[in-house]
Order: sequence, then C-alpha cells, then structure tokens
Amino acid sequence: MNTVHGSRAALVGAVLLLASGCAAAGGYSVTSVGPPRPLREVLPNGVVLIAQEHRASDVVAVQLWMRMGGRDEASDELGLAHYIEHMIFKGTPTHPPGSVDRLIEGFGGTSNAFTSYDATHYDFVVPAEHLRATIELLGDLATNASFPPDEIESEKKVVFEEMNLVEDDPDRFLVRRLYEVAYSPHPYGRPILGTHEFIERLRRDQLLAFYRKHFVSRSMVVVVVGAVTPAEARAAVTPVFGRIPPRAAGRSELSPPPTLDRNRRVDVPRPEKQAYLGLAWKTAPTGDEDIYPVDLLTYILGDSPSSRLNQEVREQQRLVSSIEAGYGAWQKAGLVTVNARLDAENSEKAEAAILDVIRKVRETGVTEAERQRAIITAESSYAFDIETAEGLAKAYGQAETTWTLADEIAYLGRLRQISAAQIQAVARKYLGDDNYARVRFVPAGAPR
Amino acid sequence: MTPGVRRPAVLGLGGLLAAGVLTAPSAAVAQLRHEQLDNGLTVIVRENPVAPVVAVSLLVKMGTRWEQPATAGIANFVHAVMVKGTAKRSGAELAEAVAALGGKISATGEVDYSEIRASSLARFWRDLLGLVAELAFEPTLRTDDVDRERDWLLSRIQKRRDNAPSRAFDAFYAALYGSHPYALPALGTPESLARIDHAAIVAAYRAGYRPERMVLAVSGQVAASEVLAEARRRFGGMARAGAGVDPPVPAPIASAGRIELEMPAQQSQILTGSLAPGLDHPDHAAVKVLSTILGGGMAGRLFAELRDKQGLAYTATSYYDPVREPGALVLYLGTAPENAQQAEAALLAEVDRVRRDPVSAEELTRAKGYLLGRYAMDRRTNERLAWYLAFYEIEGQPRDFPERYRRAVETVSTADILRVAQRYLGALTTVVVRAR
Repeated sequence: MNTVHGSRAALVGAVLLLASGCAAAGGYSVTSVGPPRPLREVLPNGVVLIAQEHRASDVVAVQLWMRMGGRDEASDELGLAHYIEHMIFKGTPTHPPGSVDRLIEGFGGTSNAFTSYDATHYDFVVPAEHLRATIELLGDLATNASFPPDEIESEKKVVFEEMNLVEDDPDRFLVRRLYEVAYSPHPYGRPILGTHEFIERLRRDQLLAFYRKHFVSRSMVVVVVGAVTPAEARAAVTPVFGRIPPRAAGRSELSPPPTLDRNRRVDVPRPEKQAYLGLAWKTAPTGDEDIYPVDLLTYILGDSPSSRLNQEVREQQRLVSSIEAGYGAWQKAGLVTVNARLDAENSEKAEAAILDVIRKVRETGVTEAERQRAIITAESSYAFDIETAEGLAKAYGQAETTWTLADEIAYLGRLRQISAAQIQAVARKYLGDDNYARVRFVPAGAPR
Repeated sequence: MTPGVRRPAVLGLGGLLAAGVLTAPSAAVAQLRHEQLDNGLTVIVRENPVAPVVAVSLLVKMGTRWEQPATAGIANFVHAVMVKGTAKRSGAELAEAVAALGGKISATGEVDYSEIRASSLARFWRDLLGLVAELAFEPTLRTDDVDRERDWLLSRIQKRRDNAPSRAFDAFYAALYGSHPYALPALGTPESLARIDHAAIVAAYRAGYRPERMVLAVSGQVAASEVLAEARRRFGGMARAGAGVDPPVPAPIASAGRIELEMPAQQSQILTGSLAPGLDHPDHAAVKVLSTILGGGMAGRLFAELRDKQGLAYTATSYYDPVREPGALVLYLGTAPENAQQAEAALLAEVDRVRRDPVSAEELTRAKGYLLGRYAMDRRTNERLAWYLAFYEIEGQPRDFPERYRRAVETVSTADILRVAQRYLGALTTVVVRAR
C-alpha cells in the first residue's frame, strides 16, 4: 500500500505492547464513548448486563468481563489468571476440548481473550443469529470449565512460547520491564504471563481454587453489542447468567503502588545491536479527574511525527530513531511512558533531551493548536475504536470493570473542555526531573 | 494478512472477500443512494450512523487486468507516485492535512481496479472528499518521485522474491494464467519497472483517471443527499474523456503441469489448483462453498486431515478470490521439507476424494455458515463497507449482488459440490517451492 503517512494515534501504544499473544493485555486504554446510551442492568445475582444495538454489520459481539486479573494472584502463584484464560477454552463437560473454537468458527465467528491486571475478558464476534448459542457457550465456560489434566500439561508449552515471544520482542519486553521496575513489588509490576517456575509446577487444584473463587456472579459483566435489540440481548443473557448462584466477588482491596524515585533504574544487557530507552512517570489512575489532561499531554508529547518528542529529539537532535509516549491507566495508578530506540552512545543525551522537552512543557505550556490537534487525535482514536460492535463492547466492558460506564460515556465531552493550562498543570504535577523509573536495553559489548 | 498470496496489495481485500455476502439486505439497501454524475462517474453513499467516522473508496478501472509483461505493475506504480504530492501540497503536507481530520489516506493498484481510500472523523467528511478529489485529479507526478518510488518498489519486489510463500504464489499464477494478464504480479517485475518512465506514468494516469472509469463510494455517519451534492461539486467538474477502449485479453490456458523450484527457506510450499469461475459465473457460489469445504478454517478438510490428523503441514488452506475474469481455486500447504513429498500426495488425495465422494450434509451446512458468517464479519468497518459498494459496481455486478450471492450459497447442494469439483479440479496446476 502506498500510504500517506498520517497517524491515527494509539494512545496506549506503550501499554498495548504489554499484551501477549491472545492474552495479557495491559491497562485501561483511555478512550471514550459518545451518545447512544447502552442498557445497563444488574441481575438479581449481581451479574451486570450491558447491551446496545449497533448495526454496522449483521454481527454481534458478546463479551464476558471479569473483575479479576493479575493483581488478584498471590505472590507465589504468578500467571494463574492468564493460565485460566487459556484453560477456559479447553472446554466443559458438554463442550469437549477443541469444540469451543470449532463451534465459533463454524458460525464464521471469532474468539479471543485478554488478561490484564484489573480485569480479564473473553470475546466472541458471531453473526447475530447465533447470539443465543454464543451466550450459552459463554455461560457454560464461565461456570463449568473442566480443566482437563492433559490439556493443563500441554498448554504449558504454549504459555512458555508466549513468554519467549515477549522476551524476543525488544519493544514489548522493554515495556514489560519498565512496568516491573516502576511498580515492583506492587501487583501491577508483576508479569501477567507469570513465572516459568510457577507455571512449570502448576497444578489443577490451584487453577480450580482460583476459578471457583473469582468466577462468581458479582465479578461478571456480560456485554452484548451488535445487530440485536437490548431486549433480545436481555432475553438471551438472563436465563443463562441469571441462574448463576449469587456470590460476592473474591477480590481483596489493593493499595496504590509506591511513588517513583531515582532508585528505580535498571540496565539490561540484550542481544540486539539497537539500544532502547524507556522512562515512566507515575500519573493518574482511571477514576481520577486528571486522566483527561494527562491523556492530551501524552498525545502532544509523543503521539505523531509532529509531536514534541519526535520533532525535538528525533528530527532536530537526531538522538533517536524512533520515540513515542503512551499512557496506561489502571484502577490504582497510571503510568506515562516514553520509549525510544537509539544508538547506545546517545543514551545519556537522549534522556536529557527528553527531560528538556518535558521541562519546557512545564515551564511554558502547550499551544492552543497542539491542544486542538490532540483532541482530534483522541476523538479519532475513540471513534474508530467504537466503529465495530466488538470495539464498542470492549469500551463498555472495560469501563464497567475498571472505571464506570457513566464516566466512559462522558469522556469525550470532558476531554474537549480541558484547557492548555490544565495540560501544563498535570505536566507540573506528575512529570518531574527525577520522579521516573528507567529501563535501558544495552547491546552486549557496548559501553555502559 | 496471509503472507504469500498472489498480489501483495490485493490480498487483504481478496482474501477477506473470499468470505462472502451482504448482511441485513433490506436495511442495507434502504440506506443506499446511487447516482451517476453527468460526466459518467458513479457515486454511492451508505448512511451508517453507528460511529462518528466516514470512509471513502474511489475505485478506478486500471490494474493488472489491463497490463502486459512490459507494463506489469504500472497501475500500482502510478499510485505510489500519486501520493507523493498534489498541485496544492507535498506528500508530507497531505499527510498533515489528513491527520488534522483524524484520518488517513492511501492508494494502490490492484488486479481489477486501483483504489484511493481514505477515512476520517465524520464531521470532516467534506474536507476528506476534497482531499480524495485533489489526490485523484491533481497529482503532481514528479519525475524525481518516479525514480524514488521505482527504487522502493524494486526493493519490495526483491523482498517478495525472498519470501517463499510469495514466490510460490507468483510462480503459481504465472503458470496458471499463461498469457492472460492475471499471470502478472501487481507489483510488476524488475524488467517492467525499469522500462516504465515518467512519461509512461503520466500516460497511464491519464488513461485510467477518467470519470467514466470511476466509482466513488462513501460510508459513514453522513447525510447521503449532502454527500451527493458535494460529490457533484468535487468530482462532477472533470470533463468526460471517454471510457477508453480496453484491449481484448487472451483467454487463460493453464499449463496443468507441475513446477518445482528451490530456495533457502524454513518451510516448503505446495500449491495446487485450477482456473475457476469469475465473479458473475453461475458456478461462483458453489465453488466458494467447495473452497470452504477444502480450506475454510480449522474444520476445513486440509486443516483437519493434513494438519490435525496427519501432522503433515503447518498451514493448510484454500483461496478463491472474486475477480472479473476467470478466477483461481488454490489449495495451499506450508510444510516441513521432510514432509513435503507426503504432504503433496495427501493433498492430491483430498482433491480425488472431493471429486469422488459426495460431502455430508453436515459438512455442507458448516461450510455455508462459515462462508456467510465470515462475509458478515468482513463488513464491520466503514472502510470495508465503502470498498464493497464500489467493488461490485466497478465489477459491473447488479446492485443486489450480495443478496443474490447469499441465496446462491444457501441453495448449493451436495450434488453441486461434486459437479464443480469434477468440473474445475480436473487438470491441476501444481507449484512446489522446496526449502533448502
């Protein structure tokens, strides 16, 4: 394709890199949702149903969002939430191994699943006529997963392979390490995929205990968006999810992660010739009013070729070959990250140049043109996200489990009201000269 | 995107289209507006209120179908140069302008058409149409851009040749189509690109970009009457130039033989297949279902038998892309070199089986569900919706093609599958690229 290189921003570019294969997505992507309002109903047992008609195509997105994720693991069972995500697709007494994928594929549909720190979700997109069958399948997987012992064993190889993939990909691994260095020992600093040691000796009873504790009615959110009416969605969901016994969520309270300082710096020797630099500042969590200006600030700093970091550090000073900023917000904390590829010898200079760019925003703020451009980019990113039924379902499910649906719906309106002064204020509040974590990938043999 | 299928750029479209049909036909038709402008350009608008975005697909009758060995790749080359700048702005300024709309724009040459596609926030639809018109009617086509883009395209051709699946597909289509232009790679060849100069680019642009040869489709959160009025203003001013005379194309004569190549690679590639009906042939739907039975997903026979049961291949799938002229039904395996011989034999055994034994009713039902479901899945974004509208129009298909096609798929019988398998999978063309 002969593309004119404009960019539709990926706000959480950095965060998305945390995702591993079919699984282990990163934090909350701060997008939003505009008018038509969804139906939101809490069933008597606590299961939340969210439904909206969306007729771009004759398909329906059916998603199960769980208020459960990597943060709910004990420190000696890292990787359990993600492993369960894999095992759920291995079926139930009535859906033997292999049959889940084949059933959905036979509809011409797709299935996927993601594990994050605050939430986990299981996604299907199918032609609308298969709504009921898909809801029934999802209900069965959510309550009757059988965790066949031989499948538990054979899946270990798949997960190890996923771990290798993350480690082999320097961009993804940098983000992974950056989160670890920034948050550790808080659960947000843990590897979603877990540790090799734990997965190696993972037992069926551990999976079952975690599944029974967390796959309970009050942790479940079912989202149905597509070529069906909310009434049809309710009629399909209620008999299946409404009969799950009422039980309180198994999750315990989580404290916010520590603040950052100069001690959170790690250099990692790597096989690549290319060096990498990643910096992370602790910023606003999902429920905070500051997410709006932080979001716009991130776009202005490092979203597109015309962004400040790109212009100054890449174009003008030529210290990096690529640079981008991202913002990942979770329930208890957010991180603004800046990642760059560069030659190892430019590492110190590039870091100083990045800090200069940020200092300038703190001192003199951003222009009105930058603010407007950032809003359009944010709006565009959101609009194309919700263009598909599954995109809108994801926005709703994420909001319900890690934020609120009402905040999500109001997001864009609030974003538009943010002033340049507010953007400058959050730069001052969060992005300092020494309150950041740092990870450098150093090519083997290069001077440290 | 599957690596390796024939036409690099086309594949995304063709491969997905391999899936199917329109969705809620009555609703979709009700939202559509068609108009032929006075200069012959066709405009189609689909109002799709679900999200505040808009997509534009401008298709032009120029592409591989009109090329010869000496001009192979010229349609794509023209579009590579077009996006480098217009009378009003440079390529970089164009990128900035479209980014300011929250959008993107790109252009490619394909097999049966070329496309300028663009999308943005819906409220900027007027500006977006303006940018598409500017790119279509006022490209600068600078000499130094021609040279720069040639180098870039040559590097892409080289990359494609170094990729075993791509190389295998190119060799397969060359053997299958013989002297028909579908034998040519959409990117062109090093020889053809070397010969295509600035004058040839300008001439090809002028021959293609005539209103009578163009279809503009718009889908998104827009008002159809406003879009039609704006389209008249932006696209109606270009004078008629005549649709041009398309040279007759030679009928394809498949070589129906076996070709073996060798290259350094991890996997061996095995392709076998034959010429198949074009988009408007009465057998099109039946061959679509046949292709799905053989290579549609994990339950397709190639995957289930050759990969799952016998462990003979990693990739096991089929392709049957809709095109104007004779299509190609391709069965494809990627396999470990030590399994290649056995895999090829097993593949041919599957062809024999489908030509000999009727498929079960259950298998037929699954294949139809998969095919029609995938088609609905492919119509989720405005970009795809706009493309489908323009595609059927430029291929000269009736406007209710999707609904006809759905009905045709639903009525395909076990006997139809046996008949088309016997008719189209008789004389096979086979290409094997052995890894060394």
